[in-house]
Formats: sequence, structure tokens, C-alpha cells
Amino acid sequence: MTSRHIEIQDDLLAAIDYCYEQGWTDGLPVVPPELSRVEAMCAMEGRPIETVLATHPATGLKLTVQALGVNAVMAGCLPEYFPIIVAAFEAMNKELFNFHGSTASTGGSAPLLIVSGPLVDEIGMNAGVNLFGPGNRANATIGRAVRLTLLNVFKMTPGISDKSTQGNPGKYSFCIAERADCNPWPSLALEQGYPEEVSSVTVFAGAGFCNVENHGGNTPEAVLSSMADAMANYGCISLGQSVVVLSPEHVRIVARDGWLKSDVQTYLFDHAKRSVAGMKNVGKFVQGEYTKQGMTDVHRGLKPSDILVTVGGGDAGGHSAFIPSWSRSRGSIMQHQSIGVCIDC
Amino acid sequence: MIIVDPTVTNTDQNNCRAPAINTLKGKTIGVLSNRKLNADLLLQETARYLVSRHGGKVLPMVHKLNPSAPSPGNTLRDLSPQCDYLLTAIGD
Repeated sequence: MTSRHIEIQDDLLAAIDYCYEQGWTDGLPVVPPELSRVEAMCAMEGRPIETVLATHPATGLKLTVQALGVNAVMAGCLPEYFPIIVAAFEAMNKELFNFHGSTASTGGSAPLLIVSGPLVDEIGMNAGVNLFGPGNRANATIGRAVRLTLLNVFKMTPGISDKSTQGNPGKYSFCIAERADCNPWPSLALEQGYPEEVSSVTVFAGAGFCNVENHGGNTPEAVLSSMADAMANYGCISLGQSVVVLSPEHVRIVARDGWLKSDVQTYLFDHAKRSVAGMKNVGKFVQGEYTKQGMTDVHRGLKPSDILVTVGGGDAGGHSAFIPSWSRSRGSIMQHQSIGVCIDC
Repeated sequence: MIIVDPTVTNTDQNNCRAPAINTLKGKTIGVLSNRKLNADLLLQETARYLVSRHGGKVLPMVHKLNPSAPSPGNTLRDLSPQCDYLLTAIGD
């Protein structure tokens, strides 16, 4: 199962137009997937180009190393980024992630990638200022390669098989790196059980991004209460998982009092809640979910470990981020994968 | 310039629409709920209305395990020979 080769005129601008005409883009121009570039991309993967990395559970469409390489070239990736994209799709292919549901749903989810470990610096990813914004080739193009692959290989076409009511800007690209130099806790990769020299990518079916601003709070409780309130807003609260990206300024306040990451998770879980009466008032109380949770109030998630906490962003600013899960319950569970190595082999 | 097609074609599955039925009269209706809020009620009422108008019968409702994941392969394989057409799912 190899991809079709097409001969077109030797004109770069015409090639870009050709890609538009074929419906291969996300709306922005792509790098034409010229054969030698595709071969260089795929050469970064040790397995044969026919190797299947992921299969769509509903349509049976298969993603090969080669098809992923083509889309990575189109996204503008350098070959050294390719192992991250391979690992991301291996993680998304795990059944609990449910990438069909999360990409097809009205919820407008985008797969958020969080890269953790030494590879972040080795390939020059951005874990700092303007973390979720533009300006870094690796972050921008790795996330974009995921979207182009969902469009071109898995046919998650907007309006046809992608029924997002409003979508979100992360559907163009949604890839960040964990900031190691001001993370007071073990990295995500270490927490996930990988050796120190191994990097990982975490995939999370994320809904829209929520900025959590607090420039006045100077205690862990003050900072984290702002976050918990955002996590429990009536528009977002559900039994789903959460990603919390603490800015360096906020994490410094939290960690200087000796709080561990597990303390942060417990505090957020305990405080990200709404009353039963409040939930009923907005029409979001579901008896079955309340019974499943088994608590007095309605909390976000089922347990503290449903909240992934990481560190990222620029040195200045009391701005952290909360990203709610697309799933309102267990419809998609975040997954992780080692990058460029096979831990089980 | 040689470029490589970024799309793939499905070589394992032949996904196509079932042929349309020419009448609803007297048909057996399968009902597959996706477990979304109020899905069971909506599907039951729709099936009841169809029977009241066109006759036929309704099979016991079957449920997906997860609203946003495809139903397990044997669900549709089991239902297919038992019913003439299937009511399924709601989106929200």
C-alpha cells in the first residue's frame, strides 16, 4: 500500500495551486509534497513506508508511514519533527482516545499535543513565550501535520465527517512543549514512566482554550482558585478530563510553598465544582453522572488525576491556561507515547 | 516535478449506502440508540409513530456502548438480517 505519484509541471506556484485544486489543504497554502522531500521525511522512521500507524475505526482508512510523511511535508515540517508526529498518531490510535469521535463531533475538538523531554530543546520547540501562538516552526507545523493528516488520510472533512458546530482555532495547529527549566516537578515524560533520555507526546482531545488571568493572588490557593473557577464554569463543567498549563509566574507561587503536583491536582479537583441546584438551574444536571461521581457537589472530572498539570509560557505574566476535554465524560481519554523508540520492543 | 498524493483509498472496506426501500408499509424497524441524552425517548417515539402510520413492528432497542465511537461490528451484523431498516442516533 504505497501512495500515488503524480507528475506536474516544474513550477512551485503552480504546484501550490494544484494542491488547492485537489482539496488537500486546510485553507492555507501547503508545501507541495515533492518526492525527495517525502522520502527524506519518511527516512526518519525506521519502519518500512507501508507500515500502518493508525486505522480509522469506522471507515477502515489506514495511515501509513508514507502517507504521514507526505502530509508532514505539506505542513512544512522538517524531517527531525517526524518521530513526534508518528508517536502522536500511535497515541491517537489507542482505542480510549477515540479519535473518530473527537474529530467528528459537534464539540469542535482539536487534538492537543504536549511534547515533554529532551527532544523539546533538541529540535528547538517553543515551551516559552507565546506558547500557544505563532512563531515557532516545530510547534506550528507538527500540529498542522496532524490536522492535514486527519483531513487527507482520514477524510475528516468539515461539514461532511467533521461536524464541529463552531470548531476552534486549534484545529489548524495545537502543539506545545513542556517547559523544563522552571518546572518544579518531574516532567510529564518521567511521570509517564519513560527513562530520562526518552521524550513523549501526550495527546488530548481538547476543546477551546481558556486563559486564566490572576495578577493579584500571591498564594497557591489564590492562584489555583482562579483556575478551579475557570474549570467549573457552567459552559465547561463536565466529568471530562482537563489540561492545566501553569505559567512560570503562577507555578513559582504554587511551588515555593512546597506544593507537589498531586497537591495541585487535588486542590483543583476539590474546588472545581458546582452545586446540584446550580447545575439544575442551567439544565446541566444529569442524575446518572452525579451518581457516578458520588460526591455532594458536581465536580469537574472523576478524580484528581483527571487533571493533567504542566508548565509552559513566558517568564512574565500571570496567565495560565485551562483546556477542557471535548468529551463530557469518558468518551476520550488522553494518551501518551514515547517518541522515536519502542519501549516494549 | 513528482509529488506524492497525500490521500489514501480504502482497500479493505466497501462502504456504500444500502439500497433505498420502496415502502415503509409493514416493515420491521430496528432501533439503535447512541445513549445520548433523550436518545431513547426520541427513537421510541419515532418508531411508534412509524408503526402507527405504516404498520409493521419494532425490534427491541439496542444500545451503543459509547455515543461517539462506532458500534461494535457484531451489533450491525446481528441487526441487519432482522430488520428492514434501522433508526439510529441523534447528534447534539
